[in-house]
Amino acid sequence: MSKQLKIVSVTNCPAGIAHTYMVAEAFEKRARELGHEIHVETQGASGVENQLTAQQISDADYVILAVGKGITDSDRSRFAGKKVIDIKISDALKEAKTIFEHLEERATQYGGSANTNVKLGSQKGNQGNIMTHLMSGISAALPFVIGGGILVAIANIMVQWGFAYTSFEDGGASFAWILESIGYLGFKFMIPIMGGYIAYSIADKPGLAPAFIITYFANDNKMLGTESGAGFLGAIFFGLAIGYFVKWIKHYNYPNTVKSLMNLTVIPAVTILIFGLLTFYVVGPFLGGLMTNMLSFLNSVPPEYKLPLAFLIGAMLAFDMGGPVNKIAWFFCFSLLAEKIYTWYAIVGVVASVPPVAAGIAALLKPKLFSKEEHDMSYSAIIVGATVATEPAIPYAMADPLPMISANTIAGGVTGVLTIMLGIERLAPGIGVFDPLLGLMTPGWAFYVAYIFGVTLNIILIFLFKGMRIKHTEKKAQKIK
Amino acid sequence: MNLVTEKEVIFDLDVTSQKEALQVLASIAFNQGMVDNAKTFFEELCKREKEGTTGFGNGIAIPHARHTCVKKAGILFIRSRHALEWNAIDGEPVKACVCLIAPDDKNDFHLKALSKFARKLIHEEFVEVLQTAGLEEVIKEINDILQ
Repeated sequence: MSKQLKIVSVTNCPAGIAHTYMVAEAFEKRARELGHEIHVETQGASGVENQLTAQQISDADYVILAVGKGITDSDRSRFAGKKVIDIKISDALKEAKTIFEHLEERATQYGGSANTNVKLGSQKGNQGNIMTHLMSGISAALPFVIGGGILVAIANIMVQWGFAYTSFEDGGASFAWILESIGYLGFKFMIPIMGGYIAYSIADKPGLAPAFIITYFANDNKMLGTESGAGFLGAIFFGLAIGYFVKWIKHYNYPNTVKSLMNLTVIPAVTILIFGLLTFYVVGPFLGGLMTNMLSFLNSVPPEYKLPLAFLIGAMLAFDMGGPVNKIAWFFCFSLLAEKIYTWYAIVGVVASVPPVAAGIAALLKPKLFSKEEHDMSYSAIIVGATVATEPAIPYAMADPLPMISANTIAGGVTGVLTIMLGIERLAPGIGVFDPLLGLMTPGWAFYVAYIFGVTLNIILIFLFKGMRIKHTEKKAQKIK
Repeated sequence: MNLVTEKEVIFDLDVTSQKEALQVLASIAFNQGMVDNAKTFFEELCKREKEGTTGFGNGIAIPHARHTCVKKAGILFIRSRHALEWNAIDGEPVKACVCLIAPDDKNDFHLKALSKFARKLIHEEFVEVLQTAGLEEVIKEINDILQ
């Protein structure tokens, strides 16, 4: 009876001003009286306070969720493998006095088993904290890629079936063009949403606006005056940098009278100013310089090194999926079209569809290596990835960067070599894996050989590298214990 | 957030039902310029009671609402001459109400003060002051928390 327990709890209520805090206080008071250790995270009107750390959760014997406005699956997933007690916030005050005596009877095991910390492929070990922030960026961005991607896919298919594709300038907006334009907004906003929510997860609301704006800016090549924006690596970089920056400003104890002024005005304005100028004067020129130097290097490669160059191009295309490195390789291939050289442009066509399809199939085959969200999005990743864009691979890459990006890059490189060896030519962009059937990619059989080989290799490498990563983090975790 | 005065802390009110008490709270809030529409705010308070009672035991209730009709965050406190049926969690009638009023914005400063106040209500010593102490002491105790 007198055993001292470690407990974590989350409280929220519809208005977020009264019961969230009353219940938190009641739990803390009662637990203190009984000698238990408790941490209560309040999700009230002013945002999340006393956010539970990965360490607190992993140490806890019980989790009490006293919620009145529900808790999202991704929020709940923090407690995978724990003994969870669900209680209505409206009953919580009444039960606060007695609940600690009945924890074991009331608890149900939530998700996975208590001793496998391998369950959620990524949120664990001592990198846990940064990973949780990246994950919240990913889950916010997912619907943008998938929702937008499907519209773009429909538009592309319509165009291939002979529907008109015209914009305002050339004869009025056609339906396919409208669909595609709306869909592309999903791709466009996916990046700032990702950056914004990474910072939000670190620094709470004051981090959201600056990170959103700056990540958008850093990804907008027109505003930067460069050929390419910073892509998803920029979202990770700015999301984390701005998040920690804002958290650092916030941690000083300002007098209450200026606190809201700080959060609402000073922090966003100062952060946007500093990072905006940094982006324009440092990141922009860096991206521009990178582009010019890499391009002149690629163009200077002598013809006898054709296959190594093909490997490099394929690897670059797969590396950051729409980011600056990808754009450089794409630009190199695309500019050769003007000289009627179609083979290099074929690499773009083959490699672009490899990472998302490979990641999607891998998540279906071995769900244990992936989080539930990654598994749930696999079908949409495969469909959008096979027909339209590489972007659905980004969430997978962010959830576990090193293994996923290594696997994609190597598979991309090998696929590039194969494409050149088979002499595949691509005349114009179409709808991904169906291009050969439309005559945009020739010879068709060779495309499928290269493509299937690339996807298979990519999947095998994902399994291999993810397995290695998990073994490595397990070892680390054991050492700590 | 504004501190409370004799205008927001009222004892010995002659109300006989929960509905009347909520109406009185809404009209005080309106007269003090905290809400721009007494009827809307009253309806919000009723809505909150329907979602689940705010009577948290020992004869005290905490009707509250966060809504766009609120212009200024604030706290009201009333004691009723009569015991009011409130469907409280311990089944006891209510004789005192703390009313939390929050605008629908993200002003951290107000929300922090209200949450600090809500937490205080769990402590029996404070509840006892609210129920039994004189007007000046109650005002002082409430303001001590808000400051």
